[in-house]
Amino acid sequence: MLQITDLHAETAGKTILQGLSLQINAGEVHAIMGPNGAGKSTLAYTLGGRPGYEVTAGSATFDGADLLALEPHERAAAGLFLGFQYPVEIPGVSNLQFLRTALNAQKRARGEAELSGGEFIKLARAQANALGLDPEMLKRPVNVGFSGGEKKRAEMVQMGILAPKLAILDETDSGLDIDALRVVGQGINTIMRAPDKAVLLITHYQRLLDYVRPDFVHVLAGGRIVRSGGPELALELEREGYAEVAA
Amino acid sequence: MSLPLPSPRDEAWRWSDLSGLPALAEARPRGGVIDTSGLWLGCGGPRLLFVDGVLDEALSEPGPLGAGAVEVDSDHPLGRLARGAGWTLDLGKGHSPDATIEIVHVATGGASHVPARITLASEAQASIVETFVGDGWANRLTQVDLGDGARLMHAARLRQASGFTSLRIEGQVGTGASLVSTILAAGGAGTRIDAAVKLAAPGAFAEVGGALLARGGQRHDAAVTLRHEAPEGMSRQTWRAVADDHATASLAARVEVARHAQQTDGEQSLRGLLLRRTATVNLKPELEIFADDVKCAHGATVGELDRNALFYLASRGLPPLEAQALLTRAFVADALGRIGEAAVREAFEADADAWLGANP
Amino acid sequence: MTTTVDTGVKNREALDAANKKYEWGFSTELETEFAPKGLSEATVRFISAKKEEPEWMLEWRLKAYRRWLEMESPDWAKLDIAPIDYQDAFYYAAPKAKPTLASLDELDPEIRRTYEKLGIPIEEQKVLAGVEGAGLPARKIAVDAVFDSVSVATTFRAELERAGVIFRSISEAVREFPDLVRKWLGKVVPAHDNYFAALNAAVFSDGTFVYVPEGVRCPMELSTYFRINAANTGQFERTLIVADKGAYVSYLEGCTAPQRDENQLHAAVVELVALDDAEIKYSTVQNWYPGDEQGLGGIYNFVTKRALCQGARSKVSWTQVETGSAVTWKYPSCVLNGEDSVGEFYSVAVTNNRQQADTGTKMIHNGRGSRSTIVSKGISAGRSDNTYRGLVRVGPNAENVRNFTQCDSLLLGDQCGAHTVPYIEVRNPTATIEHEATTSKISDDQLFYAQQRGLDRESAVALIVNGFAKEVLQQLPMEFAVEAQKLLGISLEGSVG
Repeated sequence: MLQITDLHAETAGKTILQGLSLQINAGEVHAIMGPNGAGKSTLAYTLGGRPGYEVTAGSATFDGADLLALEPHERAAAGLFLGFQYPVEIPGVSNLQFLRTALNAQKRARGEAELSGGEFIKLARAQANALGLDPEMLKRPVNVGFSGGEKKRAEMVQMGILAPKLAILDETDSGLDIDALRVVGQGINTIMRAPDKAVLLITHYQRLLDYVRPDFVHVLAGGRIVRSGGPELALELEREGYAEVAA
Repeated sequence: MSLPLPSPRDEAWRWSDLSGLPALAEARPRGGVIDTSGLWLGCGGPRLLFVDGVLDEALSEPGPLGAGAVEVDSDHPLGRLARGAGWTLDLGKGHSPDATIEIVHVATGGASHVPARITLASEAQASIVETFVGDGWANRLTQVDLGDGARLMHAARLRQASGFTSLRIEGQVGTGASLVSTILAAGGAGTRIDAAVKLAAPGAFAEVGGALLARGGQRHDAAVTLRHEAPEGMSRQTWRAVADDHATASLAARVEVARHAQQTDGEQSLRGLLLRRTATVNLKPELEIFADDVKCAHGATVGELDRNALFYLASRGLPPLEAQALLTRAFVADALGRIGEAAVREAFEADADAWLGANP
Repeated sequence: MTTTVDTGVKNREALDAANKKYEWGFSTELETEFAPKGLSEATVRFISAKKEEPEWMLEWRLKAYRRWLEMESPDWAKLDIAPIDYQDAFYYAAPKAKPTLASLDELDPEIRRTYEKLGIPIEEQKVLAGVEGAGLPARKIAVDAVFDSVSVATTFRAELERAGVIFRSISEAVREFPDLVRKWLGKVVPAHDNYFAALNAAVFSDGTFVYVPEGVRCPMELSTYFRINAANTGQFERTLIVADKGAYVSYLEGCTAPQRDENQLHAAVVELVALDDAEIKYSTVQNWYPGDEQGLGGIYNFVTKRALCQGARSKVSWTQVETGSAVTWKYPSCVLNGEDSVGEFYSVAVTNNRQQADTGTKMIHNGRGSRSTIVSKGISAGRSDNTYRGLVRVGPNAENVRNFTQCDSLLLGDQCGAHTVPYIEVRNPTATIEHEATTSKISDDQLFYAQQRGLDRESAVALIVNGFAKEVLQQLPMEFAVEAQKLLGISLEGSVG
């Protein structure tokens, strides 16, 4: 599904990714772990197409198409969802309005039929209920006045509504208490654990992995993947620390 | 000679009353023996005494200050009248006088026009406090030029018993330099305060604010423009206006952000307090912005003292006038609290207290 | 004197290309009757005679004209405009047709087609175009269609009359209800109020008159749709709305003009009167032709709008969405004389390219317990300038007045300007006046976030701008809100590179 080959990327004049390669197939859950400054967020932003993140070498294809040639919204329409570490506030724009506009824009781009207002509200309510987010929250402006936990829950609701093929979740676990962590973990499992979907979890800690069991764990250090393994690698990292494992 | 003065028809002067100035300009000072006791804060630093605009050398200790003809150039309608003899402060790189500089202006009627020029080279620092007493019309123009990293703390207390005090401050603030000016009008004279400060280089900081306390038929009027011409500047305007009796206190504060002055952070807080229904407060918090990545905000409020608070104080035994004075002092404190040096701040607070205490 | 209107545009292709942005920029070929070019007492007399006005009306106009001659064009607004040659314009242009139509079927088919193209329902069975698609219930809206200098149709007249509501072009009203018109005309905005108000009083050619009698809730939204069609012609309409005790009316105003490369003048006067317990809701979506990207052409929109909240507990709410005009000079205001009267001003002003807008409000509090709310959202893009200018004044006898003002500016790009010039003048200590202002831009974070969820850049900008303006847009009647949201997006197209 996602094939990253020898990816080099820089931001603000600094080279962060230095030859990162990674293959994610449909049905797989991957976790990328690494110390602060390893390039975890840069990887997420580069794949999402954030302006200011420049690819200097290498390639990334998504379902065989050149991902890097697409605009950010085209990547979204292609089925890529980026869960933000710090979800952005958009005053005055309700979650419902935001997501309906986004979903229908994606559907239009894919040549699918758009959802009517009624259909959309049904879908949104169902997803909110499934993730334990009060559906009333959907009427409030995007992320405005949301607590850290609510923001992350709302990100999962967005993911559920937009139904992407590949979710790249950047530190989705940061700032969550145990209850919220469980909800987010269940959300990822319910929405994304499917033979035609895949997940790339980007995380500093192993604790989210107690709820979402990855098929593969990779260690990112110095802008490239230095080790790969199964779920046991995460436990090893937790025990030994990054310095030991990445060495 | 007729005095070319702006009229209320000019937008920037719509709340001013300059009608008394021609008569003051015609009048002659009375002169006589000047009692300067109680006018000095006792900072122990350099000091100048101007009597009716003329330097009293015997009672002055200039230190690094210069006296005599000052070259200034202003097109401000009042500021441009201040020409000829005045004072200067010219500090070289990294220099700083040991103590606060004090300048006292005594007027005995008539009009006096005094220019001043303050030039601080990079990293130089100075603190200046000016005190105005007496009567007549004291008109001052002060031009300030701050080099990179220089710091000037300026404070003026306007305590003239009657007449008119007009201050015009024109400043230019260099890279990382800081200009803070705090003005308190707490006398019996009419007042017009004008300031135009340019944050001319990156990272400059400017703050102009203070408190205008007006009673009787007084008119206090401040018009301040802080202009951001370079990126990453920060400016603050904190003003409090109190009006009693038939008085009018007016604040026009303006922030300008030129194109390319990105990451500007400008804030204005203008608050008016009316102590009596015949008084007037006018506010004009103005923004003029030509750059898109800026943080500029202002807040303005007008009202009376919080009745709940007055009742609370009364229930604790404070008579109405004392309760009013206490709350008014708290209202003004925000603006005077910006003065860094304790001795100067305390003197200003004492002036405000005296004004409040004298309130019948 | 009769001429056929030229389209006024030489380069068809350029027009077609530009029309994609201003889709209302077409002009209609019509037999049009003009007053002699230029402005003189003769012009004023010509207009008055055309309208078959009573003597007092002519006298009132002539007095205004003489005052206007002595006045000077205001220069204090933050506007940069070329001097206007008042002799180089027509002050009266009317489609040649029967002066009064027995029924709408007699309307000139060209005019009918123009309104159809603009989506304005001048046939009673239709509602505003664009609404069906929004899934809203169909509602009746009565329309007064003003084409250049004259009203060509008012709809739903019979149904309104059953409710006692008078809805007429002002020319008809002067003839049919002279006492009512005379009682209030010029009482809110005197003929000599300001330069453009005086000009309007002298040469106003048509507009709308509404009277809602005591205790009547107007059974439908009323609206006027202004269309400037003829070249070199100014439009000077005058609207007078009187809501008697306990009455309610909601009134909508829309405007467009063809795309022409000379500036055209629009100097309207709107007077609102609300008596005890009456409420008037006045909404405007102003979409006059704004000129092209280089600032060529466009409407000069110099408008005086004022409401007199004369009665106790009366309420007037101004809502405006200003996206058009090369230059806008407009301050819908409320004189709050009534005890506990309420004034509201909700405004979104968008400027792009070389547009200049200087707009805001005055809230004059004379009545005890009067309250006002001001919410102004300015959006600047391109090389435009957008100024909020406002006045909140509390008179010495107005006890317990409250005002809250919120002025927010959004800048798109670093070549535009946003300015806030609020005046606060308070002469009563029991007043509570609060004013807040902020300036912001659309952050890269917001744009990327929206794009990552699937919106292209322009849609993302439009969505965020609509969010910024939401407090104002939600004040609009549904039919207009949908239009206004679309307009905001269109007006800002190409503004974020």
